[in-house]
Order: sequence, then structure tokens, then C-alpha cells
Amino acid sequence: MSAVVPRRVFLKSSAAAGAALLVPFYLSGNPRVHKTSGSPSSDSSSSFLPNAWLEVSQDGTVKIWCGKSEIGQGVRTALPMIVAEELSCDWRRVQVVQADLDPKYGDQLTGGSLSVRTSYDNLRKAGAAAREMLISAAAREWYVERSACRAENGSVIHLSTQKRFLYAQLVTLAAGISPPNDPPLKNPSDFKLIGKPSRRTDSFAKVTGAAKFGLDTRLPGMFIASVVRSPVYGGTPRHFNADEVNSAPHVRAVFEVKSAHLTHQFGETSGPGSRNYSCAGVAVVADSTWAAVQARKLLKVEWNEPPSASESTASLREKMLRLASEPGAVIRSDGDFDKAHASAVKKIDAVYEVPFLAHATMEPVNCTAHVRGDSCELWAPTQIPRAAADAVASALGIPRERVKVHVTFIGGGFGRRLIQDYAVEAALISRDAGAAVQVVWSREDDIRHDFYRPAACHVLQAGLDAQGHLVSWRHRGSSPSIETFYNGTGISPRAAAQVDSLDFPALFVPNFRLEFTVAESSMPLGYWRSVDASGNQFVISGFFDEAAHAAGRDPLEFLLAALGPARKIPVGNAETLDVGRRRSVIQLAAQKCGWNEPLPAGRGRGIAAAFGWGSYVAQVAEVTCDGNRGTLRVDRVVCAVDCGTAVNPLGVKAQMEGAINFGLAQALKSTITISGGQVAQSNFHDYEVLRMSDAPPVIEVHIVPSAEPPGGCGELGVPPAAPAVANAIFAATGKRIRRLPIRAADLHPG
Amino acid sequence: MAISFTLNGKPQSVDVSPDMPLLWVLRDTLNMTGTKFGCGMALCGACTVHINGEATRSCVTAISSVAGKKVTTIEGLSADGSHPVQQAWMEEDVPQCGYCQSGQIMSAVALLSKKPNPTDADIDDAMSGNICRCGTYQRIRKAIHRAASMQTGKAKSAA
Repeated sequence: MSAVVPRRVFLKSSAAAGAALLVPFYLSGNPRVHKTSGSPSSDSSSSFLPNAWLEVSQDGTVKIWCGKSEIGQGVRTALPMIVAEELSCDWRRVQVVQADLDPKYGDQLTGGSLSVRTSYDNLRKAGAAAREMLISAAAREWYVERSACRAENGSVIHLSTQKRFLYAQLVTLAAGISPPNDPPLKNPSDFKLIGKPSRRTDSFAKVTGAAKFGLDTRLPGMFIASVVRSPVYGGTPRHFNADEVNSAPHVRAVFEVKSAHLTHQFGETSGPGSRNYSCAGVAVVADSTWAAVQARKLLKVEWNEPPSASESTASLREKMLRLASEPGAVIRSDGDFDKAHASAVKKIDAVYEVPFLAHATMEPVNCTAHVRGDSCELWAPTQIPRAAADAVASALGIPRERVKVHVTFIGGGFGRRLIQDYAVEAALISRDAGAAVQVVWSREDDIRHDFYRPAACHVLQAGLDAQGHLVSWRHRGSSPSIETFYNGTGISPRAAAQVDSLDFPALFVPNFRLEFTVAESSMPLGYWRSVDASGNQFVISGFFDEAAHAAGRDPLEFLLAALGPARKIPVGNAETLDVGRRRSVIQLAAQKCGWNEPLPAGRGRGIAAAFGWGSYVAQVAEVTCDGNRGTLRVDRVVCAVDCGTAVNPLGVKAQMEGAINFGLAQALKSTITISGGQVAQSNFHDYEVLRMSDAPPVIEVHIVPSAEPPGGCGELGVPPAAPAVANAIFAATGKRIRRLPIRAADLHPG
Repeated sequence: MAISFTLNGKPQSVDVSPDMPLLWVLRDTLNMTGTKFGCGMALCGACTVHINGEATRSCVTAISSVAGKKVTTIEGLSADGSHPVQQAWMEEDVPQCGYCQSGQIMSAVALLSKKPNPTDADIDDAMSGNICRCGTYQRIRKAIHRAASMQTGKAKSAA
């Protein structure tokens, strides 16, 4: 396991998931036979449900439930592969079913790159338990020893006679077998599915338009709502022209939607000073989306504005720069930075900045709710159905058990759908409208009412000795705190920090100091794919590259020299940093890109590496850059990844490619600014993201073969992309990039 | 007043406000949800359909302007996912979240109808109006080239 889990929240949820593993979820749901009455022309059929995760039918199909949310990361492929592997069934006959919210599926949180990691053992046991029951059923039927039988590709075979039962023939018999407590697991060398590239199970639905996303929910008698929310987070409507809007065509109702506290996001405390609530606004409920959008244009709302209406990007930046220039809470201190730095032969210092960012999932935020009396049914594109149920129950004042959550296909998550504001809002609107309601956020709503990746400033200093070794490193960061936003101001400085005590180059520089100061801000904050690492890795890998150049050394050689020899370093919580794995991805990326091969003038190569979520990654970017003309093109990104056992290598590659493009959007395009407490951007013309013409012609992904337990892959590829590009720009032009996104003016020489 | 057009090869008539965008006619009036809402301003391409064969952003296309024309949506490309572009998309394992892919595929089909063997530059030109936040761009390029060779191969064998 790696150390650098992105945030303590995910450590918490990870720990919770770990605890859940102690409960034999693979046994959850009593084994049973499900009988369906057949059509008049056929006999009734039965199916075998050994536990919550799978069902073997008499027609030979195997249903496997996916307990996590499919946000594009491929859980509807990778997780069923794990079950099917141990079940030894025919993968071509597997149908994947999305699990709704149900305790029998354990922790259904989809985030922190945890899904495969925390499901792996459990799902193997679920599949293995079923396989053992099928073997027992066959052995009993043949009056032979179990050990004389083997399961293979959907059949149980009696080895000496080669007699064979299809699983489909054993459905009724297997239900009479007690599930084993500790079913034997396959030797990984016998794996037929795990580790083999498998195409996605959901592609057909997604290329034919058949996949039902949240926004595709259609219920009889359903209305559509559009909501005007307070332009400043925390504002409330003082007055609005309800009567006028109500008389617009096809409008059913116009009413205020109150802000609601968002409970139980990750089991946070929501202590005093926490600010996690949904945005107050005015809802327009109409017969169709177009009617709601048109009527909304007539709405005039006067707002009670909170004091935060004075905040701007400039005022926050000034504050963060000041705070990051002063001593902060000490997150880590090794050796004696002041003394070592005073005696360093060469010293460098720099200021780095990153902006607020929105998630901008392609499927705009939405939720469909139907409140009936003291119950509520949700059709929610959510990464935490349990949190949606908790928050809705709290807002409606009903028992959580009365909230039913259907998990839809989800048009992108990236952390946005960890926050359940949109589910609460939909439930409140459905209650007050007295009908099923789909709340549709416009793109403008989505960009302006997100929970943003915090902006940050970092001030760094480093010192080198006469031999060009890094001897001192001080990193002072300041930004608004996600942890304070959800937990309140009473938490410890270390808990509030948007940096981690294992942030590089901690452990690899003898005199290391990491400090952080929270910059108060009124902005709503959230988890953005790779969370702190998304910005911090740009800062750290950029400044480390500066140190290499200050030392007059090759950045790759300097990085490997700083890491030192392969070894395992315990880092607390029974976790280990494996320097050998870290080195090997760096060396593999460098080798595959031809690090030492010269590039023509105007082109450059940069490297950055990261570890976390149980995995290791390195990326080399190659760019063509003309500083005078302000042009930049990323020609190629070569990525090496060690994620332990790669359950679906094709999915791992897809995640790396996608993460690199996501990281390049941050590097080249995206920024959220604020003025008068309001977000200035509104749609894809001013909140720019990566497009086809910006995307590198080539992304290569190389996976290090490994028998280690699976690591996370959803976020890992994001952090190195921006610094690899920034370092490549320096190699090409000598211009150092210290703020994101990279602007044409930043490339200009001089 | 009813507005009539051809939808996926069949006559269709709707009685809606003439300024209602085709996107919402498809999604809300006709319950055909394969065409996606992404931005409402023709900035992201998720709502792309064909009108008389041209890739068109349905979110800014008033239904009145569609009268008498031929509209093709993702549901009309094939009954069974057998269109070469859909096949190529599955073979290259393109989709991640999948939300943008209806629009990506419709743009790609329109490109290939004009340029059966597009270059990467042609693809950049034709596809840069379609945003994919999951970052499947490299696979989309590969899938378009694959579909191109499937289609030209088919044309050759037919000749």
C-alpha cells in the first residue's frame, strides 16, 4: 500500500471500507433459488443467488451486480471481472447490473480511487463461494468427492470421467449447499480474466444512445425544474416575481428552495464553522425543460447577500501570497532547514500559483426525485448513494430507510458527485411541487455553483551543497481548506492543511520543512480528481526541476539520485513507500520516451512522477514551443504506471490516458475566477477544457507487471501531467512556468 | 401548430412551441434520450444530430427550422449498433463515462461522409467542437481511422 492517500477523508473512508471487509459481505444475502413463472409457452425458470453479488440462471446467463457507481472509470467491467474470475464462468454470458443503494453491497462510495482496491478480496470471495457451492452440488449429484471435481468456464467437471454439469443445470441443487466461510481463492497464475485486457461491458449502450444517465430518467407525470441560485454562495432570496413567472406557459409552480445542510459526506463532523450546504434559490417547475428554462428567464430575484460578496480572485491571491510568505503550521520538519539552508552553496526560491477549478462533468448536474408522504425515491447520478440518502432524509425529516436511491449511469464524476447538494435540492423541490421532479442544471448553473478545487499559493526555497546535492527544502503553502469547509474551524492545523506530510521530497531531503496556513474564503470547496495532488504536484515537480537545473544536472538523473536505492520505507499506518517501484516507473517512462535522444530546437522533454492511492506513476511530456509567438503543443506523453495487479489492463490504460488529458486541461486551459463573491465563468467559452485539437497526438501507457495487490488508477495519472509539460517547456525555451493555466504570455522570453 | 419532419427515416409531427430547440423536442417531447444536453450554446457538441446529413447542434436549432427536413439521431444510425463508426468505437474501447459519445459519433459519421479517409488534421478540424471531459480523444482518432478503413474496405469489396 502506498502512503500518499490524497486526503484524510479518503483515508477515513478507506478505513471504513477496510472495516467493512471484516464483515463477510461476500456472504450477504441468503443463498436462495429465485423462481420466475414462465410464459405460457415455456416452463418456469429458476436462478441461483448464492450471495448479493451474482445470480446464475438456468438459461446460462450470469448476472453480476456492480456495487460502485460507473462514472467512466470502468467499474462495471473491472469489478464483475473479479467475481467472474473466481466463479469460473463464461465471461461472454455475464450481464452486469447496477446495484441500487442497499447495505448488502457494503460501502458503495465511489471515490478516492478505491473501488477495485477495496472490492478485490471481497468480490473474489463472493465468486469463489458460489463456485464452491456449484462444485459441491455437482459432487453430491455424482456421489463423488468434491476434490475429484473442478470448475471451468461455466461448468463443473468430474476429472476422472470428464462428466460435466453446466452451472445452469446446477441452479436448484446449489441453493441447498451451505456457503463456505472461507472459500479457497485461485492462484493468480491460473487467472483467465484478471490481468487480461477486457473491453468495456457498457460500450454497446454508450455507442447506441441506449445508456440511461441521470438526465435520461423519465417518469410518468414528471415535471422539470430549473433553479436560479444565489450568485454568491450563502445568499438567500429576499423577493422574487413569482406571480409573473407562474403565469408563463406550462409553468406549474414557482417557489423558494431553502439551503440545506449536507450531512454525512464522508462521515465528517460538520463541526462549528463548517459551510457545507446546498445553495438557496428559486425553483421554476414546468412541464418540460424548455418551458422551465424559458420561464426562468422572466424570473427577477433580489438577494440577501452575505458579507462574502466582497471576495475577489485578486483579494484572495494577495491574502494567500502573504500567508505563504510567513511561517505557517508545521506539517513536517526533518533535520534543521534553517541551519542547512544558511550553509547551502546554492539557493533557489520561487512562488507557484494554481487557480480554483470546476469539475465540468459532461452530464450537467441533475437529479430526479419523487417524494410521497414520508418516503422519497431518487434517481441519482451520485458517487455516494448512501450520502444522498442521508442528506435527503435529514433535509426532509424522514428516516433514512425511507429514501430509496437508484444509481444511474453517470456522465462524469471527477469528485463533483461526491457532494449531494443536487439530490437534496431535487427532494425539496419534489416535496413542494407534490410530484416527481427532475432538476436540470444548466451548464451555467454547473460552472457557477460547483464545489471548487481550491486556488493556492506556494512559496518554496531549496539549497544545494557544493556537490549539487539537495540539502534543504522548505515549502510553505496557503489556500482555502476543503477540510475546514466540511468539518468546521475547530479541526487541527494538520487536518486542515491542503498539503500532506509525505509530499515529495519529504523522506529524500535531510532538512525538510513543510508548512501550511489556511486562507479563509467564502467559496464552496470540493474534491477534484486527485484533490490536493492536482495542484501540489505541479508545484513540487516544477520546483524540483528548478533544483536540478540549478545543480546543473539532468532532471531524470537528479530525481533518481535523490530517491536513492530501491528500498521500502515505512510511513506509518502500516503503510510503506516502495522506492524501488517508484524508481522503476520513472526509469520505464524515461526509457520508453528515449530520454537521452536529442530533440530539435524548440522542442523539449519534461518528467514528473507521483505516487499514491496504492500506485506509482511517471510521465514524460514532449512539447513544441515558440515563446515569441506564444504557441505550445504537447506532442507526446509517455506514461509508466505500477498499479499492482492491473485487473483490466485496457481499463488502466484508458484511465491513464483520460487522466493525462484531464491534467492537460488544467495545465493549458481551465481557470475559475471570482469577482464580487461570484464566479466569473459560465460555460465552455470561458471555462475552457481540453479539446481534440489540444490533445497530444500520442499518449503511450506502459504498465509495470506486478503481483502486488491492486492499487487505484482513477486519479493517479492527473498530477504529473501539468508539471511534465511545464518542465518540458523549460527544456524547450528556458522559460519557467510557475502558475496555471499556462498563458501565451508566460512563454515569452525575457 | 404541428411541425413535420423526417426522423430516422420515419415521418414525425410535433405540436410544440416553434422556438423549442430540436434537442428538447427529441428528449422531452419524443422521449428519445440518446441525444445529450451539455451546454445549451453549441459549445460542447453533446447534442449533435444530422439535419439533411449535416452535423448540427440540436440545442440551438429551433424546431421550426427543421420542418420538412431529414433528422438523424444516434438511435437512427443503426438498429443494432452495427454502423461501422459504432463498431469502431467498440473495438477501440472508446467510451468512458460515455455521455459525449452520441455527439462524438454523429460528428464522426458526418466527417466520414465528406472525407472517407480523413487525416489527423481533418479530424482535429471536424471534432474540436465535441468536448470529452474523460479525455478519450486519442481513441476517438484511432476509431475514426478504423471506421474509415472499414468503410473504404467495404466500398472496395462492393465495387
